[in-house]
Amino acid sequence: MVSEEIASLLQVYLFPGFLFLIVLAFFIEWFDRKLVAKFQNRYGPLHVGPKGILQPFADFIKLLSKEDITPASADDKPFLLMPLLMFALAVTPLFSVPITGRSALVSFEGDLIVVMFIMTLTALIIFIGAWVSTNRFGTIGGVRAGLQLFAYEIPLNLVMVGPAVAAGSLSISRIVQQQTGGIWFVLTQPLGFVVFAICLLAHLQWIPFDIPEAETEIVGGWLVEFGGRKLALIRLAKDLELVLAGSLLASLYLGGPSGLGNLHVLIYLIKLLACVFALSNLRALFARYRIDQLLVGAWKYLTPLALLQTAIAVVSPW
Amino acid sequence: MSTIRIPFGPQHPALEEPINFIFEVEQERVVNVTPRLGYIHRGIEKLAENRTYLQNVYLVERICGICSFAHAACYVQAVEELLGVEVSDRARFIRTIIGEMERIQNHFLWLGLTAKEMGFETLFMYAWRDREKMLEVLELISGKRVNYGVNTIGGVRSDISTAMLEDIGDILHQLQDRAKYYKSVCTKDQTILKRTLGVGILRPRDAVKLCAVGPTLRASGITRDVRSDYPYAAYDEVPLKVVIYKGCDVASRILARIDEILVSVGIIGYALENLPSGPIRVKVPTRVPEGEAISLVEAPRGEDLHYLRSDGSEKPARLKVRAPTLANLPALCKMLIDVNIADIPVVIAGIDPCIACAERVMMIDVESKKRRTWSGEKLRRYAIEWYRKR
Repeated sequence: MVSEEIASLLQVYLFPGFLFLIVLAFFIEWFDRKLVAKFQNRYGPLHVGPKGILQPFADFIKLLSKEDITPASADDKPFLLMPLLMFALAVTPLFSVPITGRSALVSFEGDLIVVMFIMTLTALIIFIGAWVSTNRFGTIGGVRAGLQLFAYEIPLNLVMVGPAVAAGSLSISRIVQQQTGGIWFVLTQPLGFVVFAICLLAHLQWIPFDIPEAETEIVGGWLVEFGGRKLALIRLAKDLELVLAGSLLASLYLGGPSGLGNLHVLIYLIKLLACVFALSNLRALFARYRIDQLLVGAWKYLTPLALLQTAIAVVSPW
Repeated sequence: MSTIRIPFGPQHPALEEPINFIFEVEQERVVNVTPRLGYIHRGIEKLAENRTYLQNVYLVERICGICSFAHAACYVQAVEELLGVEVSDRARFIRTIIGEMERIQNHFLWLGLTAKEMGFETLFMYAWRDREKMLEVLELISGKRVNYGVNTIGGVRSDISTAMLEDIGDILHQLQDRAKYYKSVCTKDQTILKRTLGVGILRPRDAVKLCAVGPTLRASGITRDVRSDYPYAAYDEVPLKVVIYKGCDVASRILARIDEILVSVGIIGYALENLPSGPIRVKVPTRVPEGEAISLVEAPRGEDLHYLRSDGSEKPARLKVRAPTLANLPALCKMLIDVNIADIPVVIAGIDPCIACAERVMMIDVESKKRRTWSGEKLRRYAIEWYRKR
């Protein structure tokens, strides 16, 4: 009885819980940075650890040690809460994603809906955080983040429904189990996979959709007033969101941690890295869109495509 | 909807140098813009009056790091005109070659920066890597990468030996390929086209009226280039095609500059093949006679003007520099009206601004909108007064 409780505590805190996820987040950030650097003819992180693998962690520690400033005119309580909320909202949905086996740590019928909800909430938190920071660049960045949400949220959620329809369940674990026996949904719903990847880029605020941050336009946008510990947490949260994005791609469309034998974690990691590789590739390939161009594009192309894919998923026999 | 005033600079990631713009925006549209210069004024014109003519060659070279050759060439041309000296043919050709090399490295640098303003980091990295090759060639010839110190009164200081020709030819060939590749990228990539087509419109009439210069003007469809209009150095002997585009937008400015790289490669190739033999510099009289001279050079960014007045002493009585960026600023303000906030950086980058070049002795009082020129003594008194009041 007691040992069972200890085991579940270890699961939550060590593996595949917080510690594993945070280490994974740092690793994925390094992987992405190194990869994009290679695409761009640079070296990328080089000095901390072998091939600079510890650089994201070093950045995190450095930011933690920096002075913590709250602007005089900012609404201090929500301003303080925002990074914490962002971190919490980034790490929570990862518990519903299967990593060590076919079933996730927290799995129930409808956890897909919760993940969708939390992903939307993240964008709202960004908007509120930018608003309470009262910086002019921040406000513009926050408004852009909100507008961007209008663009990508509906197609994103629609294409997440596609695999659920095909699997006949609203649980991510069940969707993974469905694919283990049968066929990966990327083969039956390729359109959904593409739309999903594009929407995830927008959700991650990555090039070509890094509109709310847009360093050269609005100096970092909604991030501009966050520094020190707050920025460290936000960056960690963004890394975790990248892990979440890769994991969702892998779970919903690529069969999650299933495949060869019982090496579940290894297979999960390989699929995650493949997904991040694809996303990083896209990131190095484009210039930044303007916010109006994103909205027009999302409503003209992404949403109809997502609707079409959902309709196909409903009527198709798979 | 009321307007929000957004400061842009003097410190901003999209700006390499300090300048301040106050944008009045309605939602995401710019309705008014007020530029403010003066953050990097170095008093070079005043300094020039306290140095001899030869020392000034190295001073004017430091007006701008990127078009250092253009400024120095412009200045020595003015001095040579006062002295009545004809430089040798070889020196004229070498000046042409280095000037075009400078144009190539500047345009690659600019292409990278513009890509960065658009959020296209990969193109930024690639363009800057290619620029490095041009800098290596310049280092091979002059020994320096940025302030080449090639010009001197009466000719040039560095010669191009036959041993160098092969290396230079190789690199020029590579750069030509790269420029062609970038041209295809910039005409085909959807994200670039979306951010540049129809952005920052400058109509030909406005461009002429607001005295725009250089590629900014030529991208508005006006054929005006100092190299062909008032040939200096060896430009009357080399094949020069003035590149114009009629799009009047940022996309045209990008293509105009990439095409200029290709034209420059052609000019350098021709000049290297037909490099006349002879001395690279001639002896010049030490005394500069009384008089005044105006010299024009097509710097990478546009027309660069130096006015020089001599009173017969060993130092110039007055040196006035009108750098291309200053000429382009009014046109820039026109372009910025009615663009999106998101397009501000790329429009500003579109004129290839060099603020350090533009900062001369003129003073603009922003509050009263009055322009005045002060003597050094008056400025000193004003400064003391101002600090006493604080």
